[in-house]
Amino acid sequence: MRVAAVLVAYALAGAFVAPWLLARASWPQRAPRLAIAVWLASAASVVLALGLAGVALAVPTVPVSSGLSQWLQACAMAIRAAYATPGGIILGATGTAFALFVTARTAVALSGSWARATWARRAHRRAVVLAGRPRHDIDALIVDCDTAAAYCVPGRHRQVVLTTAALAALSDAELAAVLAHERAHLRGRHHHLVGVASGLARAFPGIPLFQAAKEQVAALVEMVADDVAAGAHHRATIATAVVALAGMHAPQAALGASGSAALTRVRRLVAPAAPLHRAALLAGVLAVVGIVALPVSVAAAPALHAMHMNLCPVHPGITPPVSSA
Amino acid sequence: MLRGFGDLEAQIMERLWAAPEPVTVRQLVDDLQQGRAIAYTTVLTVTDILYRKEWLTRQRQGRAYAYRPVCTREQYAAGLMREALATSTDHTAALLHFVTEMPAEEAAALRDALAELDAGPDDRPEP
Repeated sequence: MRVAAVLVAYALAGAFVAPWLLARASWPQRAPRLAIAVWLASAASVVLALGLAGVALAVPTVPVSSGLSQWLQACAMAIRAAYATPGGIILGATGTAFALFVTARTAVALSGSWARATWARRAHRRAVVLAGRPRHDIDALIVDCDTAAAYCVPGRHRQVVLTTAALAALSDAELAAVLAHERAHLRGRHHHLVGVASGLARAFPGIPLFQAAKEQVAALVEMVADDVAAGAHHRATIATAVVALAGMHAPQAALGASGSAALTRVRRLVAPAAPLHRAALLAGVLAVVGIVALPVSVAAAPALHAMHMNLCPVHPGITPPVSSA
Repeated sequence: MLRGFGDLEAQIMERLWAAPEPVTVRQLVDDLQQGRAIAYTTVLTVTDILYRKEWLTRQRQGRAYAYRPVCTREQYAAGLMREALATSTDHTAALLHFVTEMPAEEAAALRDALAELDAGPDDRPEP
């Protein structure tokens, strides 16, 4: 009972407080890859905590078979006692149902959004191959259109697409920077990161952490792609390309987070802050591991404690009897 | 909503767009068979599907129908790009845009941010 309560409290803090803190931090701009890991680890950690809270409620009601050996039975009963709840079977059933709900919901949403995106990409690629014409010198498809657009279609038959308006708006150097940026998306498999984040947002709508993770991961992969492109192109060229293409769009376009995200990108390209210090990066990586490990260790602590009593065959120095059942 | 074509559908649309005037299924088959062996009935069926989906119009030409695309390739491309640029669909996650649509004020703010650069030291290379 106590374990489940701790896990639920942790999940609530993660779901409502963490996004507020993370969105206000300035270090993600300096280490976008680490920030993506932190967002996704936080989301995974909350899902894990919720699922394990259900499991922790269910453990005391797991029937201990009398067919088990004496050793194992004693062990199982000790573990059961460690998670004891006053609610008994009803709470146990609720816990089981909740754990199954969280697992199923996550699995269905993730596989669903993966399938939908894959399908949409395939349909789009087929259509765009038909509508456009290949330009082999830049390995991209050109589509006749008076709206500027530059994007990539990830997947097995990956494709970079540019409209004629985008080509007209970009200088040669800017075009090269845009292509490098899009190829960085493709090579880095950024669509998987964006896909997981948006799948979780779909699984748990209205929960701030998942909503923020979806938006932030989408913005952060752009920064990562900018940084990769900046390895071979001037940052200023990438910035002018962003402005050239952004300025081409219809003014009445729907308001989204994209605008301010693009602004952050341009500022970041124009006046880059120093990348995060090595030690800070290392601390961040450890934090990512910790974020995922925390709910698991909270959930497992009573079981581990029970196992350390002499009742369990895993105790050092005691060999379990082989065939006593 | 715009959807991609199947392989044969795409090949047929490709040829109809390229043709200056309406084309019969027989002409399509003759053209397609230069690339690979394909049955008349297969082409007839797929062409009929495109007609029913209202991608094609047809007119009698002797004993057969001659087909013509309803929209031009340019119109098709424009519809496709509208779809690709829509921010509210699954395409948001499916495609990775260099920069997505934004309101005019945001675009203006971008130009301002860039002006700050022009005022500062010019075009420094990467450290």
